[in-house]
Amino acid sequence: MEAELGLKKNLYMPRTSVTTESNKTGSWRFLRPRYEEKTSPCSTACPAGEDIARIEMLITQGAFKEAWETILRENPLPGVCGRVCYHPCEGNCNRREFDTSIAVHTMERFLADTAARNETKPVLERLPPKGKGVAIIGSGPAGLAAAWFLNMLGYDSEIFEAMPEAGGLLRWGIPAYRLPAAVLSNEIARIENQGVRIRLSETVSASRFEELKTSYDAVFLGCGYWRNIALNIPGESGSGVEDGLSFLKQLRQGAKPDVRGVSAVIGGGNTAIDVARSIIRLGGRAVIVYRRRREDMPAFDEEIISALEEGVELRELLAPVQIAAQGSDCILTLQQMKVEGRDRDGRGRIAADGTSPVEISVQRVFVATGAAAAETWHEPPPAETAGHHTAPLTPHLPLHLSHCTLHQEQQGTPIIYGGDLTNTSKNVTQAIASGKQAAMALDTFFQSGAGTIRERLSGCLVGEGPSLSMEIYMHGPRKERKTHIVSHQEINTDYFQFEPRVIQPRLLIEERTSSFDEIELKISANTAMREAGRCFNCGICNDCDNCYLFCPDVCILRGRDMTERHIDYDYCKGCGLCVVECPRNAMTLGEEEKL
Amino acid sequence: MQLDALDKELMCSGHVGCPGCGATIAMRFVLKALGEKTVMVLPACCWSVIAGPFPQSSLKIPVIHTAFETGGATASGVRAALDMKGDTETTVITWAGDGGTFDIGFQALSGAVERNEDFIYACYDNEAYMNTGIQRSSSTPYGAWTTTTTGADWKKLRKKNIVEALVAHRIPYAATANIAFPEDLIRKVKKAKAIRGSKFLHIYASCPTGWRIPSEMSIKIARMAVQTNIFPLYEVENGVNYTINYKPKEYLVREYFKLQGRFRHLKDTDLDQIQEMVNEDWGLLLRKAGEHA
Ligand SMILES: Cc1ncc(C[n+]2csc(CCOP(=O)(O)OP(=O)(O)O)c2C)c(N)n1
Ligand code: SF4
Ligand code: SF4
Ligand SMILES: [Mg+2]
Repeated sequence: MEAELGLKKNLYMPRTSVTTESNKTGSWRFLRPRYEEKTSPCSTACPAGEDIARIEMLITQGAFKEAWETILRENPLPGVCGRVCYHPCEGNCNRREFDTSIAVHTMERFLADTAARNETKPVLERLPPKGKGVAIIGSGPAGLAAAWFLNMLGYDSEIFEAMPEAGGLLRWGIPAYRLPAAVLSNEIARIENQGVRIRLSETVSASRFEELKTSYDAVFLGCGYWRNIALNIPGESGSGVEDGLSFLKQLRQGAKPDVRGVSAVIGGGNTAIDVARSIIRLGGRAVIVYRRRREDMPAFDEEIISALEEGVELRELLAPVQIAAQGSDCILTLQQMKVEGRDRDGRGRIAADGTSPVEISVQRVFVATGAAAAETWHEPPPAETAGHHTAPLTPHLPLHLSHCTLHQEQQGTPIIYGGDLTNTSKNVTQAIASGKQAAMALDTFFQSGAGTIRERLSGCLVGEGPSLSMEIYMHGPRKERKTHIVSHQEINTDYFQFEPRVIQPRLLIEERTSSFDEIELKISANTAMREAGRCFNCGICNDCDNCYLFCPDVCILRGRDMTERHIDYDYCKGCGLCVVECPRNAMTLGEEEKL
Repeated sequence: MQLDALDKELMCSGHVGCPGCGATIAMRFVLKALGEKTVMVLPACCWSVIAGPFPQSSLKIPVIHTAFETGGATASGVRAALDMKGDTETTVITWAGDGGTFDIGFQALSGAVERNEDFIYACYDNEAYMNTGIQRSSSTPYGAWTTTTTGADWKKLRKKNIVEALVAHRIPYAATANIAFPEDLIRKVKKAKAIRGSKFLHIYASCPTGWRIPSEMSIKIARMAVQTNIFPLYEVENGVNYTINYKPKEYLVREYFKLQGRFRHLKDTDLDQIQEMVNEDWGLLLRKAGEHA
């Protein structure tokens, strides 16, 4: 025995000779963890479907250019949207349930400003040229977006703009204190640099439209709503009455109209607010007269608050019934309204309250109660109504999508109507969403026919939609994301501390009311990184390494740069720790498949 | 979490620790912090099994399996042998369970640290004799079910405060650590490695099997032990200088108890009593650290 063990006089110490790696403990497993990125709630709320969780992650890492490019894949106008978008993303942010939402729009603007300051050139994927040209009528946000995305998909896109400068409503309908002209020009220049042609001062008439149909493979109509909707009351075409949009346009063209005294602004939308706040800046007084209540106003709440801060007066539940000139003044007759039940859109239904009308005397009246298409041929073909059924000439067309309408007459050139012409919510980001959807629809039309559009697009939804992702459409990495929307309960908040949201520096009220200077000021890179660092990065892996660290079985393997993690299922016992300790639900624990 | 230079792996897959075992996570962190030049002394405990049945080993460092009660004595011998060979660089660490530390190994441990032997004694605490089937130890907390404190006879005695017992020896370094706080844990191990003389580390290591908790909750519960002040993170230098490393936001202990099967029988009045005990211990610690509640 002693000889057998090689023992002489020495003490025998048995020594191990192999590792435990021959025990494939993966056979113990009945639950199977896996890496599975999911969708953040902010990104589904963003009409442009921006990959916000990833954008914030890149900002935290100081990768500003990559973050900016990540926006540009889904939205060509971050400098504009970081300023004028009503940021529904923030209203849906999971961090709200923890402390306060991430200042997503502030981050977006920061990235755009940083790129502009450094004159950064984006590097973006573009599909090989398709040899097809698309004419785009109107260079507003819808037209710009359609051109940008069609260009990405390999089309030659050419924009026709009636005005001498591009931008549409962005240039002529939004005051400079919200959107400085230089910001817009910068974004448009980048769009042109990517290969989009913009032909200025080229009005497209009905006959020119017919010509375009023959010389292009498709036409996108994004000419917006420019015709003021009439109030249909006596005196509205008299002197002293102006339309709001034309007034804003004059200002952007450099005019300094005399607005001394009191101006009444009729309406409750963003244009009404823009007009009133501009009047204040020109030294006048402004009273907004609105038929309904403040909570029913379609204007963004932050805009209403700012207007009131700046001294705009708001008079609710007053419907104009007549405007009469009296010397150089206007007498505005108003009917007091009351709320009675609810309208179909959920707002209070209003009716005259039975009292006799009141009169107010003002120096002038601005009408900003909404706009409509300037020409009837701008209007998309109506949606088919039940009972009235005409067999479509091309099967599946006209196709009414959420943000655009595709039509083709007798195998002719496909026409897409988009932007305000088709959108139910008429604002900048929805217009961008429209341009994107139109580009996808048109490309699918050319690739595989009208009958495949709905299905192809439904595969590109961000979460449950309606936002669409061009990155998904182009088979980018985002395609791997699950549509599951990460909830606050699915975040492991043990890994986050309460931190106050960035305070956006702003001009003082006195500074605001005396100039058209931009109100919101810049933030520093450090501030941006700190704010982005508050983001949970819902559903996406930010390489925090928790899964690797806490694995009791050493079976999280890492590839290049210590990223590209994967699980060694030979040994993983399925304890589930990695999934629970992943702060951001980038992993999933599922049942092990029965063998 | 950013932990640099910890990519080296000195523990192997294929070990037979239970799914979600906190003691294996503790080992992984400790070895990452110590590095290869380490000899481990391993008295009987779950880890005797996890380290592998002969001829296997799940650890890529030399390990000496030794008798249950001899952690302190064997380490003293290994240290002496290394010193005789002129190797002062290699770290000697004893890795023992709470049974092997608080109870049966206490004499050898006390003797070794009284002599101020140059080694680290790490106790991974899973609060019972787990390897032999969940028998209570003097580390088992007040209120816990074990296979020897069953039914109405759940443990009604306090957990021994082992760190204070070691601090009473006036050793150069004694500290608590927790698997849910890897940065703190690794810093403490590195600190202990750099100090000459006896070092004691009390490492909280959850045990899904013995505590009747789901395996995926092992880290969450470990974290809560700190957040509730049940297991405060602190260190003591030379038996007198206390530093509290983490000041929790006073979570209630019932949150911690609620999650574990071993405490299921406790009533609200019991939990209130436990809360008082925890508050008292925390107050005591604050006083030692010269801080105010
Ligand atoms: C002298 C002696 N008594 C009893 C045993 C049986 N035994 C082996 S491991 C163990 C329990 C160890 O408990 P602990 O130290 O807490 O480590 P754990 O198993 O919980 O990790 C016991 C009782 C032994 N090996 N030697
Ligand atoms: S925390 Fe970040 S990723 Fe999550 S919803 Fe908010 S902004 Fe989006
Ligand atoms: S734990 Fe961290 S590294 Fe692992 S998947 Fe989640 S985010 Fe990525
Ligand atoms: Mg034990």
